[in-house]
Amino acid sequence: MQHEAALNARAGHSAAAGPGREGPYKNYVLGAAYDEMFAANGTVRAHYAQLDSRLTTLAPEELHRRQQACELSFLHQGITFTVYSDKQATERIIPTDLLPRIVTAAEWGRIEAGLKQRILALNHFLRDIYSDGRVLKDGVIPRSMIYGSRHYRREMRGLQVPHGAYVNVCGTDLVRREDGQFVVLEDNLRVPSGVSYMLANRDVVRRAFPNLFRAMGVRPIEQYPRELLAALRALTPFQHDASIAVLTPGVFNSAYFEHAFLARQMGVELVEGRDLLVNDNVVYARTTSGLKRIDVIYRRIDDDFIDPLAFRDESSLGVPGLFNAYRAGSVVIANALGTGVADDKAIYAYVPRLIRYYLSEEPILDSVETFLCREPKSLSHVLANLDRLVVKAVGESGGYGMLVGPHASKAEREAFAEKLKADPENYIAQPTIQLSTAPTFVDGGVEARHVDLRPFVLHGEETVIVPGALTRVALKRGSLVVNSSQGGGSKDTWVLSN
Amino acid sequence: MLSRVADSMYWMSRYLERAEHTARLIAVKLESMIEQSREDADSSWWRVVAALAAEEVGPRDAFAITQNLAFEPANPSSLLSCLRNARDNARQVREQLSLEVWENLNRLYLKLQPMTMEAIWVHHPARLFREALQDLHTLGGVTYSTLSHGEAWYFLELGRHIERAQLISRLLDLHFGRSATEVVAEAPKYFDWLVLLKFCSAFEPYCKAYTAAIRPEKIAEFLLFDAEFPHSVRFSVERVCAALLHVAPGAPPGRRAAVERLAGRLKASVDFTQIEELMSGSIAPFLGDISRQCEQIHDAVYASYIAYGAETVL
Repeated sequence: MQHEAALNARAGHSAAAGPGREGPYKNYVLGAAYDEMFAANGTVRAHYAQLDSRLTTLAPEELHRRQQACELSFLHQGITFTVYSDKQATERIIPTDLLPRIVTAAEWGRIEAGLKQRILALNHFLRDIYSDGRVLKDGVIPRSMIYGSRHYRREMRGLQVPHGAYVNVCGTDLVRREDGQFVVLEDNLRVPSGVSYMLANRDVVRRAFPNLFRAMGVRPIEQYPRELLAALRALTPFQHDASIAVLTPGVFNSAYFEHAFLARQMGVELVEGRDLLVNDNVVYARTTSGLKRIDVIYRRIDDDFIDPLAFRDESSLGVPGLFNAYRAGSVVIANALGTGVADDKAIYAYVPRLIRYYLSEEPILDSVETFLCREPKSLSHVLANLDRLVVKAVGESGGYGMLVGPHASKAEREAFAEKLKADPENYIAQPTIQLSTAPTFVDGGVEARHVDLRPFVLHGEETVIVPGALTRVALKRGSLVVNSSQGGGSKDTWVLSN
Repeated sequence: MLSRVADSMYWMSRYLERAEHTARLIAVKLESMIEQSREDADSSWWRVVAALAAEEVGPRDAFAITQNLAFEPANPSSLLSCLRNARDNARQVREQLSLEVWENLNRLYLKLQPMTMEAIWVHHPARLFREALQDLHTLGGVTYSTLSHGEAWYFLELGRHIERAQLISRLLDLHFGRSATEVVAEAPKYFDWLVLLKFCSAFEPYCKAYTAAIRPEKIAEFLLFDAEFPHSVRFSVERVCAALLHVAPGAPPGRRAAVERLAGRLKASVDFTQIEELMSGSIAPFLGDISRQCEQIHDAVYASYIAYGAETVL
């Protein structure tokens, strides 16, 4: 307590250079959203005090130089995506921000407990709907929502997955509401990506602020690949002899850097569909010395494309016969197939009920209030309040197929209303949440930008969450869209040890 | 090792060798032009163009030719195209390479990619190619000292030396073989021999072995049969054979034999042929034969280790 009081005193001292005043925060605007760094009265929150004193003492040119060093490092490492214009393909780095986003130990403790609870319930749920369907018989969730979902895989019924763990890697999107509480916005249970940016950001930002990093007691995250490997190994009886591979769609996939990065860091093979073949329900990789058996596949290819014989037959990314081998139990695939049914935006509304149903516990983390347009009462409410709501298509991700009511024009809203009426089951609506803002280095100064938080949950025999996350940041002033496909960047996330 | 990975390692290395060769030829040519009469300088470009298997460009001035050989994206064997291909292959096997190898290659590509001829042509254009050569040598050293010398490394060796043996024999063919006399009536002059040695970074090593007396058949002997010089055909063939012993350790003996027999035959011919036999007129077919045998080895490696039919091993 004494320690915190001291920090507070220091924070009060440096409030001279607060938001809106001279100094690095000249253009820092506190809005309606919760701000990670400044309290509503403009004083620096205790856990940001040390960053604040660093920012107010460093020359702007020095900050700029460090930002450039970060970007150059990303460019050289090849952490880029390709933009195709008229003639030339140019490579751009995923924008990374110099300033870390800081999470206190207490906040993290709550997040960690809440996420563990959530993945446990979701794994119970998946096992249930692919076996007895108890949750449906008990009327907790309408049958049509499961059997009507295009992510439900009938082929998975009755298949036993190791430890009942359907979701082995999960990236959950959290946001902080105006009242300072973290709430879950979305579960990504299929092939969540971004963990390599979490690690790459750490690498460059730690180099940019080495003393600050050490002084603040930031918890390490470098063990992530090792934990992932352990989670994958836990899925086979072979353990240390298991032959594990990361399955990538290939070099043109926007997350290819991540696939290669994880394979390298885990020391396992990175394979493409064309490297694998299935014979007599056994999966082999084609090597220079002959065929080599594969036991566990960490797949980064969507369900639809993984096996042209079982699913979409035009896919050239997958492996013919893989699904049969999987059903026969000779290979483990992580995440299991058919997990998409549980991260659907409509199922999302039911997750609190699922937690109570399977675990008999109250949800630790809140969800965002969600209107299911399939329910007539909700639909009319949504249509009447389109200017205040965010409407999302149930099966989409990455910020596609959505309407941000307050930012849309009248014509856009009217056009969207028609889509809604035509296919209400496909949409849900949520109130616009003012994502919290965090200090971000923009044009030589520090400004407030909206951020979310994506921690990564690993689940093999047990659940492990590395104390860190990908913080995505909407780089455009006022924008609430953090997706990298739509002008978002990312930040390092510092979880403090006390 | 995955067959696809072996394929990318092999090609990455071939492209890097080709890039190095291209950079060296351009650098040497630009430097040597300074000492030549304008006529001689222009007329000897054809050898460089032919050695790099580039298409003839319209106006045969040094600027246009260098542009085509170094930066032209439509020319698949330009320096930049080679580097791009090497980098694309490296990206395919990113998880096999050390961070240092990838970063050095990536940095070199990103440095050359935005360059324009206009920018480099004004002051000492050869300097850029010397720098590129320096960077490629650094990359070679970084690869040597940061990558495990396992199967992946030997596929790099294999690619590099098959490519090198072919490039050197092509260069020799342009000075000794049929194409040397078919295209121009004139035989190479003293200065051309000097440049040939420099093309292979062989000038000083040659002098050490044979003194500074420039004698064509000694040059041919040195570049074909010297056992110690890293840019001789024999040296490369020796490295190809050594690499083949280490790749695909678990492949069935029958497959290995198919490859090793071809490599052994090529090794025997460069080990036991004497330059005197060739200088009486049979050098052109001999050089052509080396190139052909390199292709056969390449095909056999693919048939045995990389593109084999799965049904043959099940």
